[in-house]
Amino acid sequence: MDLREEKVGGVTVVEVKGRIDSTTAPALGARLTASLVAPKVRVLLDLSRLEYISSAGFRILLLAAKRADEAGSRLVLCGVSGKVRQLFDLGGFLDLFTIVGSRDEGIAAAG
Amino acid sequence: MSAIDITIVNQGGQLARVAGLLDRLGAEHHLAPEVLADMQIALDEVLTNITDYAYTDQAEHEIHIRLQVLDNVLEAVIEDDGAPFNPLAIPAPDVSTPLRERRVGGVGIHFVRSLMDEVAYDRAGERNRLVLRKRFKT
Repeated sequence: MDLREEKVGGVTVVEVKGRIDSTTAPALGARLTASLVAPKVRVLLDLSRLEYISSAGFRILLLAAKRADEAGSRLVLCGVSGKVRQLFDLGGFLDLFTIVGSRDEGIAAAG
Repeated sequence: MSAIDITIVNQGGQLARVAGLLDRLGAEHHLAPEVLADMQIALDEVLTNITDYAYTDQAEHEIHIRLQVLDNVLEAVIEDDGAPFNPLAIPAPDVSTPLRERRVGGVGIHFVRSLMDEVAYDRAGERNRLVLRKRFKT
Protein backbone atom coordinates (compact mmCIF):
# COMPACT_ATOMS: atom_id res chain seq x y z
CA MET A 1 0.00 0.00 0.00
CA ASP A 2 1.20 3.49 -0.88
CA LEU A 3 -0.28 6.66 0.59
CA ARG A 4 -0.05 10.01 -1.12
CA GLU A 5 -1.24 13.12 0.57
CA GLU A 6 -1.83 16.56 -0.85
CA LYS A 7 -3.70 19.71 0.12
CA VAL A 8 -6.29 20.99 -2.30
CA GLY A 9 -7.73 24.22 -0.99
CA GLY A 10 -8.59 23.44 2.59
CA VAL A 11 -9.04 19.73 1.95
CA THR A 12 -6.47 17.06 2.78
CA VAL A 13 -6.62 14.49 0.01
CA VAL A 14 -5.23 11.06 0.89
CA GLU A 15 -4.86 8.69 -2.04
CA VAL A 16 -4.51 4.99 -1.26
CA LYS A 17 -2.83 2.77 -3.83
CA GLY A 18 -2.58 -1.00 -3.55
CA ARG A 19 -4.12 -3.08 -0.80
CA ILE A 20 -5.51 -2.44 2.64
CA ASP A 21 -5.21 -5.63 4.67
CA SER A 22 -4.18 -6.54 8.21
CA THR A 23 -0.53 -5.81 7.32
CA THR A 24 -1.07 -2.34 5.84
CA ALA A 25 -4.15 -1.13 7.78
CA PRO A 26 -2.14 0.21 10.77
CA ALA A 27 -0.18 2.61 8.51
CA LEU A 28 -3.43 3.93 7.03
CA GLY A 29 -4.83 4.29 10.54
CA ALA A 30 -1.80 6.30 11.64
CA ARG A 31 -2.07 8.58 8.61
CA LEU A 32 -5.80 9.20 9.08
CA THR A 33 -5.34 9.80 12.79
CA ALA A 34 -2.66 12.38 11.99
CA SER A 35 -4.88 14.04 9.38
CA LEU A 36 -7.87 14.10 11.73
CA VAL A 37 -6.03 15.19 14.86
CA ALA A 38 -7.07 18.84 14.54
CA PRO A 39 -10.77 19.64 14.98
CA LYS A 40 -13.01 20.65 12.06
CA VAL A 41 -10.71 19.46 9.30
CA ARG A 42 -11.75 18.14 5.91
CA VAL A 43 -10.28 14.91 4.62
CA LEU A 44 -10.97 13.24 1.29
CA LEU A 45 -9.91 9.61 0.95
CA ASP A 46 -9.40 8.72 -2.72
CA LEU A 47 -9.80 4.94 -3.18
CA SER A 48 -9.76 4.87 -6.99
CA ARG A 49 -6.37 3.10 -7.04
CA LEU A 50 -7.18 0.69 -4.22
CA GLU A 51 -7.10 -2.99 -5.23
CA TYR A 52 -9.00 -4.37 -2.26
CA ILE A 53 -9.72 -3.84 1.42
CA SER A 54 -10.18 -6.50 4.09
CA SER A 55 -12.15 -6.18 7.34
CA ALA A 56 -9.01 -4.91 9.11
CA GLY A 57 -9.16 -1.93 6.76
CA PHE A 58 -12.87 -1.33 7.32
CA ARG A 59 -12.22 -1.30 11.05
CA ILE A 60 -9.74 1.55 10.50
CA LEU A 61 -12.13 3.47 8.23
CA LEU A 62 -15.03 3.16 10.70
CA LEU A 63 -12.80 4.37 13.49
CA ALA A 64 -11.67 7.36 11.38
CA ALA A 65 -15.30 8.21 10.52
CA LYS A 66 -16.21 8.10 14.21
CA ARG A 67 -13.23 10.34 15.10
CA ALA A 68 -14.19 12.81 12.38
CA ASP A 69 -17.79 12.92 13.63
CA GLU A 70 -16.71 13.56 17.18
CA ALA A 71 -14.29 16.34 16.18
CA GLY A 72 -16.75 18.09 13.88
CA SER A 73 -14.57 17.14 10.90
CA ARG A 74 -15.57 15.76 7.54
CA LEU A 75 -14.32 12.51 6.07
CA VAL A 76 -15.44 11.90 2.49
CA LEU A 77 -14.59 8.89 0.31
CA CYS A 78 -14.32 8.88 -3.49
CA GLY A 79 -13.34 6.42 -6.21
CA VAL A 80 -15.20 3.51 -4.62
CA SER A 81 -15.67 1.21 -7.62
CA GLY A 82 -15.24 -2.34 -8.90
CA LYS A 83 -13.95 -4.86 -6.38
CA VAL A 84 -13.69 -2.22 -3.65
CA ARG A 85 -17.33 -1.20 -4.12
CA GLN A 86 -18.34 -4.89 -4.00
CA LEU A 87 -16.60 -5.21 -0.61
CA PHE A 88 -18.25 -2.05 0.76
CA ASP A 89 -21.58 -3.46 -0.39
CA LEU A 90 -20.96 -6.96 1.03
CA GLY A 91 -20.09 -5.54 4.43
CA GLY A 92 -23.02 -3.12 4.42
CA PHE A 93 -20.62 -0.16 4.60
CA LEU A 94 -21.91 1.92 1.67
CA ASP A 95 -24.40 3.79 3.84
CA LEU A 96 -21.99 4.33 6.71
CA PHE A 97 -19.71 6.75 4.84
CA THR A 98 -20.13 9.85 2.74
CA ILE A 99 -19.19 8.49 -0.67
CA VAL A 100 -19.00 10.53 -3.87
CA GLY A 101 -17.89 9.62 -7.39
CA SER A 102 -14.85 11.64 -8.38
CA ARG A 103 -12.08 13.49 -6.60
CA ASP A 104 -13.49 16.85 -7.75
CA GLU A 105 -16.91 16.00 -6.34
CA GLY A 106 -15.17 14.88 -3.18
CA ILE A 107 -13.30 18.15 -2.77
CA ALA A 108 -16.57 20.02 -3.28
CA ALA A 109 -18.37 17.74 -0.80
CA ALA A 110 -15.64 17.91 1.82
CA GLY A 111 -15.09 21.65 1.45
CA MET B 1 5.09 -25.08 -9.20
CA SER B 2 1.44 -25.63 -8.37
CA ALA B 3 1.60 -25.92 -4.58
CA ILE B 4 3.29 -23.91 -1.84
CA ASP B 5 3.54 -24.98 1.80
CA ILE B 6 4.02 -22.21 4.33
CA THR B 7 4.44 -22.34 8.08
CA ILE B 8 3.94 -19.19 10.11
CA VAL B 9 3.73 -18.61 13.84
CA ASN B 10 0.98 -16.77 15.69
CA GLN B 11 2.89 -13.51 15.95
CA GLY B 12 2.34 -10.26 14.13
CA GLY B 13 4.01 -9.38 10.88
CA GLN B 14 3.81 -12.81 9.27
CA LEU B 15 0.94 -12.32 6.88
CA ALA B 16 2.84 -10.22 4.35
CA ARG B 17 4.95 -13.29 3.56
CA VAL B 18 1.83 -15.38 2.92
CA ALA B 19 0.38 -12.66 0.67
CA GLY B 20 3.66 -12.48 -1.26
CA LEU B 21 3.74 -16.23 -1.88
CA LEU B 22 0.10 -16.24 -2.98
CA ASP B 23 0.92 -13.42 -5.42
CA ARG B 24 3.77 -15.51 -6.80
CA LEU B 25 1.56 -18.57 -7.26
CA GLY B 26 -1.06 -16.38 -8.92
CA ALA B 27 1.47 -14.86 -11.31
CA GLU B 28 2.86 -18.27 -12.30
CA HIS B 29 -0.62 -19.49 -13.16
CA HIS B 30 -1.78 -16.22 -14.71
CA LEU B 31 -4.72 -16.01 -12.34
CA ALA B 32 -7.10 -13.09 -12.82
CA PRO B 33 -6.57 -10.21 -10.34
CA GLU B 34 -10.14 -10.66 -9.12
CA VAL B 35 -9.56 -14.33 -8.23
CA LEU B 36 -6.31 -13.51 -6.48
CA ALA B 37 -7.84 -10.56 -4.60
CA ASP B 38 -10.70 -12.70 -3.27
CA MET B 39 -8.27 -15.33 -1.98
CA GLN B 40 -5.95 -12.69 -0.50
CA ILE B 41 -8.86 -11.18 1.42
CA ALA B 42 -10.15 -14.57 2.61
CA LEU B 43 -6.67 -15.62 3.78
CA ASP B 44 -6.14 -12.31 5.56
CA GLU B 45 -9.44 -12.73 7.40
CA VAL B 46 -8.85 -16.37 8.36
CA LEU B 47 -5.23 -15.91 9.50
CA THR B 48 -6.02 -12.73 11.42
CA ASN B 49 -8.80 -14.57 13.23
CA ILE B 50 -6.47 -17.40 14.16
CA THR B 51 -3.62 -15.21 15.41
CA ASP B 52 -6.01 -12.89 17.30
CA TYR B 53 -8.45 -15.36 18.84
CA ALA B 54 -7.44 -19.01 18.55
CA TYR B 55 -4.95 -19.20 21.40
CA THR B 56 -5.53 -18.87 25.10
CA ASP B 57 -1.91 -19.29 26.17
CA GLN B 58 1.13 -17.11 25.46
CA ALA B 59 3.08 -19.85 23.69
CA GLU B 60 4.19 -19.76 20.10
CA HIS B 61 2.01 -21.84 17.79
CA GLU B 62 2.54 -22.92 14.22
CA ILE B 63 -0.05 -22.36 11.53
CA HIS B 64 0.30 -24.39 8.35
CA ILE B 65 -0.93 -23.11 5.03
CA ARG B 66 -0.97 -24.96 1.73
CA LEU B 67 -1.73 -22.94 -1.37
CA GLN B 68 -2.36 -24.79 -4.58
CA VAL B 69 -3.77 -24.48 -8.04
CA LEU B 70 -5.85 -27.47 -9.08
CA ASP B 71 -8.10 -27.84 -12.12
CA ASN B 72 -9.78 -24.45 -12.33
CA VAL B 73 -9.58 -24.03 -8.57
CA LEU B 74 -7.32 -21.96 -6.37
CA GLU B 75 -7.25 -23.66 -2.98
CA ALA B 76 -5.92 -22.75 0.44
CA VAL B 77 -5.81 -25.25 3.31
CA ILE B 78 -5.18 -23.73 6.73
CA GLU B 79 -4.40 -25.85 9.79
CA ASP B 80 -3.94 -24.61 13.33
CA ASP B 81 -3.90 -26.12 16.82
CA GLY B 82 -5.96 -23.36 18.40
CA ALA B 83 -9.36 -23.52 20.06
CA PRO B 84 -12.04 -25.24 17.95
CA PHE B 85 -13.53 -22.66 15.63
CA ASN B 86 -15.93 -23.36 12.79
CA PRO B 87 -16.42 -20.19 10.75
CA LEU B 88 -19.36 -21.82 8.98
CA ALA B 89 -21.26 -21.91 12.26
CA ILE B 90 -21.11 -18.13 12.76
CA PRO B 91 -24.34 -16.34 11.83
CA ALA B 92 -24.11 -13.73 9.05
CA PRO B 93 -23.84 -10.18 10.44
CA ASP B 94 -26.80 -7.83 10.32
CA VAL B 95 -25.38 -5.35 7.83
CA SER B 96 -28.38 -3.02 8.21
CA THR B 97 -27.48 -1.97 11.76
CA PRO B 98 -26.45 1.70 12.10
CA LEU B 99 -22.77 2.61 12.42
CA ARG B 100 -22.83 3.33 16.14
CA GLU B 101 -24.19 -0.11 17.00
CA ARG B 102 -22.13 -2.08 14.53
CA ARG B 103 -19.43 -4.53 15.37
CA VAL B 104 -17.04 -5.22 12.53
CA GLY B 105 -16.47 -8.60 14.15
CA GLY B 106 -18.53 -10.85 11.92
CA VAL B 107 -17.70 -9.07 8.68
CA GLY B 108 -14.40 -10.88 8.06
CA ILE B 109 -16.03 -14.30 8.18
CA HIS B 110 -18.87 -12.97 6.05
CA PHE B 111 -16.30 -11.87 3.44
CA VAL B 112 -14.71 -15.33 3.47
CA ARG B 113 -18.01 -17.10 2.92
CA SER B 114 -19.20 -14.64 0.27
CA LEU B 115 -15.99 -14.41 -1.75
CA MET B 116 -15.12 -18.13 -1.79
CA ASP B 117 -16.98 -20.70 -3.86
CA GLU B 118 -16.46 -23.38 -1.22
CA VAL B 119 -15.49 -23.34 2.45
CA ALA B 120 -15.07 -26.59 4.37
CA TYR B 121 -14.18 -27.04 8.02
CA ASP B 122 -13.23 -30.03 10.08
CA ARG B 123 -11.71 -30.63 13.47
CA ALA B 124 -9.32 -33.55 13.46
CA GLY B 125 -7.77 -34.37 16.82
CA GLU B 126 -6.56 -31.10 18.27
CA ARG B 127 -6.45 -29.27 14.96
CA ASN B 128 -8.73 -26.99 12.98
CA ARG B 129 -8.59 -27.55 9.25
CA LEU B 130 -10.18 -25.03 6.94
CA VAL B 131 -10.32 -25.41 3.17
CA LEU B 132 -11.01 -22.37 0.97
CA ARG B 133 -11.71 -22.80 -2.72
CA LYS B 134 -12.04 -20.18 -5.42
CA ARG B 135 -12.97 -21.36 -8.91
CA PHE B 136 -11.67 -19.67 -12.02
CA LYS B 137 -12.00 -20.03 -15.77
CA THR B 138 -8.97 -20.79 -17.87
